[in-house]
Amino acid sequence: MKFKSFMTMSMVAVALVFGMSSCGDDDKDEPEAPVANQVVGSYTGTEVLTVMGEADESTETFEFTKATDVSVDVTLPKYGESMMTVPALPVKGITLTKSGNTITGKLDKYEGTVISADGSEKAYTVSDVTVIFNDKTVVMTFTQKYGNMPFAFEGVFTGAKK
Amino acid sequence: MKLFGSAILLFMPAMGLSAQGIRDSVELEPVVVTASHTPKTLKDAPVVTRLITLHDIKIVDATNIQDMLTQEIPGLEFGFAMTQETSLNMSGFGGNAVLFLLDGERLSGETMDNTDYSRLNLDNVGRIEIVKGASSALYGSNAVGGVVNIISRENLEPWTANANTRYNTFGNEWRNGASFSFNTEKWNSQTSFQHTKIDPVDLPKAHTSEEIAIELMKKAQGLPYDESVLSDDSNISRLFGQKTYNIKERLTFRATDRLTLIGRGGYFFRTSERDTYDYHFHAYSGGLKGRFAWDAGRHLELSYAYDQYDKANFLPDGTRTHDHDYSNQQHVAHALYSHSFGKNNLILGVDYMHDHLTTYQFLDNASHAQDNIDGYAQFDWNITDRLNVVGSIRYDYFSASARKAFTERLAVVYKIPWMTLRVNYASGFRAPTLKEMYMHFDMGNMGYMIIGNPDLEPEKSHNFNLAIERTNRIRNSGFLDGRYNFTLMGYCNIFDKRITTIEGPEYNGMESALYWNDEGITVWGIDASLGHIWDCGASFKLNYSWMKETGNVYYSDFYQPRSHSLTWRIGYEHRFSRLYALDAALSGRCQGKPQSGRTDVDQGYTIWKLMLQHHLWRGIRLNTAIDNLFNYKPKSYYYSSPLTTGTSFNIGLSVDLDQLL
Repeated sequence: MKFKSFMTMSMVAVALVFGMSSCGDDDKDEPEAPVANQVVGSYTGTEVLTVMGEADESTETFEFTKATDVSVDVTLPKYGESMMTVPALPVKGITLTKSGNTITGKLDKYEGTVISADGSEKAYTVSDVTVIFNDKTVVMTFTQKYGNMPFAFEGVFTGAKK
Repeated sequence: MKLFGSAILLFMPAMGLSAQGIRDSVELEPVVVTASHTPKTLKDAPVVTRLITLHDIKIVDATNIQDMLTQEIPGLEFGFAMTQETSLNMSGFGGNAVLFLLDGERLSGETMDNTDYSRLNLDNVGRIEIVKGASSALYGSNAVGGVVNIISRENLEPWTANANTRYNTFGNEWRNGASFSFNTEKWNSQTSFQHTKIDPVDLPKAHTSEEIAIELMKKAQGLPYDESVLSDDSNISRLFGQKTYNIKERLTFRATDRLTLIGRGGYFFRTSERDTYDYHFHAYSGGLKGRFAWDAGRHLELSYAYDQYDKANFLPDGTRTHDHDYSNQQHVAHALYSHSFGKNNLILGVDYMHDHLTTYQFLDNASHAQDNIDGYAQFDWNITDRLNVVGSIRYDYFSASARKAFTERLAVVYKIPWMTLRVNYASGFRAPTLKEMYMHFDMGNMGYMIIGNPDLEPEKSHNFNLAIERTNRIRNSGFLDGRYNFTLMGYCNIFDKRITTIEGPEYNGMESALYWNDEGITVWGIDASLGHIWDCGASFKLNYSWMKETGNVYYSDFYQPRSHSLTWRIGYEHRFSRLYALDAALSGRCQGKPQSGRTDVDQGYTIWKLMLQHHLWRGIRLNTAIDNLFNYKPKSYYYSSPLTTGTSFNIGLSVDLDQLL
């Protein structure tokens, strides 16, 4: 309920701002930029990857790039060191919808291949992706499966736009 | 438990009922072979043997051994290993310490230390015998925690033909099967085919990813948020879909009154549809057995068996990757001589096994092989009508490790008028596998090496058990009139030199795990079973198991044994008319909380199943079942959770064409 109240207040504030501005004699209605344009950029923050109940936390930068007016791509940063590495994994086609100040991105599943540290091609999937952008803040949840790794990584990223 | 009691009372007044499966195990007349390698009635078996009859198999309508044992055997639980392959835990022992036999023959291959249980479908299976505790003196390696022997049915009608199909709402599972048999004076043939298909099942999470993201956003913005949404202990979010194909043929030729020849063959294929790759599994098996009987007291068996199990990965476009190729082949030659001296019997046996393994888990996909030679003897001495002593000794030699293992067993059965007493000592062992000796594997290409150890010693166990059994008839007592059987067994299994992994040396800059003989554990336990058939026909059975581990106990997400477990079944069978008979069973299983004390997952659970088999006109049967009757749902899914998302429904049709035509 508190979140709903916050959303309501935010929407009222937005409506007031736009309402006031639209009353100005000299102002013209300018079309809102596509949602993708509103969220693209670099976000730096904390990524937590959990596998079998063990969580590993690191500071990472997620770069969201425009795919279409209503979708973005992102690359999950590489994980691990030297040979013990999951390479950076592109995730494409996260569909965006806007509600008030909040833009939400969803993607059921993305399947791709990537070159691993030893030079071989590995398949991966990133599924159950949810991204929420609000003001300069982003949170993202996802499930990542790489190659023949027996376990999935459950990922959470919380970051702020540079 | 109140519910359970009520259910019993509900079913008690059933009129004109019988339940053949329960009747068989209560009356103790069926013949079993696993405990002594020779046919003996259940009541005379030297070691307590749990029997699952053909009727049990039919009424449970289980697809494979996993479904069947889960419902019948307390203290046994199937969960998941890594890669979501099925893993077994039976009274403190994992899948590699429980020996599964198909008509007395081993199966090759393993998936994360477990047999591929989906190979063991129950089409054309006549009975299943389970002997808990060590039996290596008869069966060699792996018979540490128990032996499960799946024995094929041999139809004796001139011919039979059956077609069956079943649909289960859980995963939209379909099972289709067909079998055919014929029997003449000289020939007997049994052929069966089964196909199963199950869709992926998304396991419900306590909260959706969007709900979690919303709470995370609140947290990031410094707003009040719900911490409980952010802590979900589920490790598994999706059960992978799979398909199986299984075809078996068994041909018996009775050449003369003295000589019988048996040939068998089988092919199995399973595909498991994973996130990144599809896993394909193939198994090929074949064998020849000859049995020559000089007379009623002497016979010789010679056999050869071949079993191959292959695994490979495929990309979604159908391309084989070859980076996960695995092939295990086993050749087994076997000779057994049996000689009876009056009531006493001597068995002498020798086996030779060649085990060959090629796997991506070896350095440069190399192959390794090992030969196992063994010899054993057993003397079954019936000292009096009441006292029976069975002694067995066995010697095994393994070429790759140059290790040997001596195992022995002494079983004493003493019958006094009101009960049977069994005292048994048996040793067991599990030889290190080729994988454990030679593994050189970068796990998941993550730079974490698992390294084999050629110096591993066999795991060793000493098993003691004491059992009392009473079978009797109650007369003139009114409500309790009928026949009952009660068995109580206490056991202690001292398990040493357990093979596990420890932190290994740094390997080319990578961390490693090394296979190692670790200190052991002692498993203490009590098994109790009670079966009763009332004269009015109602029947029920109840099995309870308690287990406690001491010593070097460790738990993991994959290993969460439970101290208390219970299974039960109430049977009902009645022919209402020439055209309709009903066979019903209400069964259940109750698992106690994990012994580890873990509290972030369900502490225990009870699942009920109602099965109704409608016998219609001329061999047409309609099978219906409601599983998880009271809609139990785990609060989170981890590797030892029951495979349920709530109540599910089965409906199936089986037609015996020989009766129809």
